[in-house]
Amino acid sequence: MEGFEVAVVGAGPAGSAAALTLAKEGVQVLLLERGSFPGSKNVFGGRIYTYALKRLLGDRWKQAPIERFIRKEGITFMTNENSFTVEFESKETQTSFTAIRARFDKWLAEEAEKAGASLINDVRVDDLMMDNGQVKGIVAGQDKIPAEAVIACDGTTTNLARKAGLITMLNPEEISIGMKDVTELPAETIEERLGLESGEGMAHVYAGYPTKGLRGGGFLYTNKNSLALGLVVGGDDVSLKAIPSHTLMNTFREHARIKRLVRGGKTLEYDAHMIPEAGPGMINRPFTGGMLVAGDAAGHLLNNGYTFRGVDMAIMAGIAAAETIIEARKKKDYSANSLRSYAKRLKSEPSLKDMYTFSKVPNYLRNRRLYSVYPELVCSAAEAVYRVDSKGKRKIYKELRAQTKGRVSTLTLIRDLLRGARTF
Amino acid sequence: MTESEEKLSLDKRLGTLSFNKDPEPFITVDTETCFKCEKKPCLYICPAQVYVWEEKLVYNTEGCMETGACLIVCHKLGAKAIHWKYPSGGHGVTFTQG
Repeated sequence: MEGFEVAVVGAGPAGSAAALTLAKEGVQVLLLERGSFPGSKNVFGGRIYTYALKRLLGDRWKQAPIERFIRKEGITFMTNENSFTVEFESKETQTSFTAIRARFDKWLAEEAEKAGASLINDVRVDDLMMDNGQVKGIVAGQDKIPAEAVIACDGTTTNLARKAGLITMLNPEEISIGMKDVTELPAETIEERLGLESGEGMAHVYAGYPTKGLRGGGFLYTNKNSLALGLVVGGDDVSLKAIPSHTLMNTFREHARIKRLVRGGKTLEYDAHMIPEAGPGMINRPFTGGMLVAGDAAGHLLNNGYTFRGVDMAIMAGIAAAETIIEARKKKDYSANSLRSYAKRLKSEPSLKDMYTFSKVPNYLRNRRLYSVYPELVCSAAEAVYRVDSKGKRKIYKELRAQTKGRVSTLTLIRDLLRGARTF
Repeated sequence: MTESEEKLSLDKRLGTLSFNKDPEPFITVDTETCFKCEKKPCLYICPAQVYVWEEKLVYNTEGCMETGACLIVCHKLGAKAIHWKYPSGGHGVTFTQG
């Protein structure tokens, strides 16, 4: 296999966005996927922010396999018995949408093919071809594929960034496990149960009970004819507390608040995936001589506790990687020095800048009180506020003060609040 | 809906997935080393319960969803017994609803 200028490894959103951008400039680009089709190995919570697709495709973004546009956002704090929900309904209807990766990633890779990229499925890339510390191509089984440059979009486990010495193994506290059940239900049932107009979608997160107080949370996304219900749990917590991760799925699903949402549905699939939670700091630098790294492999995603982004950032990083290669190609210089501008592009792109703005968030989110004490506190305070009985009531402020007693000291509470205010 | 349908078992969940078995083993474990492992984190992290303890470590990669998390916890919290790579191209799990 010769004659390719650039090899892109991994046909997820980052890889396909990079391949498409390069192919449009007339670059001979090879796009490799280890699954039998793009998306077949990919799992996410459920939503994609539209702006990145618009940037990549212009008006063609509307042809994406969109499940439902999200108009309703919400968070629920849960205990075993109670739940407290905040919901936001937006007039804006096309900011983000739900999707199914087996369809979405396949479609996006086909868009890259239409632009001129060569997609080959069923290829696991095992190694890099190196010459004098510079990446010169890739190795897949017996095949050596030379290339002027490689873009590694090979996901959280990123074999290639490791082979290039850009990353060491992540720590358990830097990863989470995500799991979900996809449950088939008629569109009207979904809309009725979740209070949606025809075709509208919602995204909801759940704190506290779903993870039994471990770092993480539950989520619910609406597809056209199915619900994606799942949870994310910290790699360190679940291992050290000795709670088998998959057992949390039933804990969550059987909560009175959740049970009624999926009742009568047919389980279409159970999915799982590993999520990097360390931000772009997980990689020393996202470039080396002859190679760039984009997407999950480089930590291009963001969980700031209330929004969860990955696909949009992967697309933007893929575009930035392609633009860097296009510039290097003009100079015929793919050295590390020439590719250094990639790091600058990532930092100056407004949508990606969020990763750096919220860089202290992963550390803040390791505070276990966020998943145990505080959700419980919210629920018991609500219980006290709404309770009317023969004993009479205290004023709300006094009630809140009473609820914190024995759970968390006032000093700790204030410190967490202040730290939160500085972090978000 | 019956109670059993609400309480989905892991077997039933994994039964919704399709797998194309890789003829080559892509996960191998030095199970002797596991006797020295105190925390045995692989038993808990894996969403497919590939690893179980039956007087020794037993593993069955047939339900493996290829998260790669077992490798991390084994090497950082455990006894460094797991050798892991993805199944070869086109093999392993296929997600249709991810």
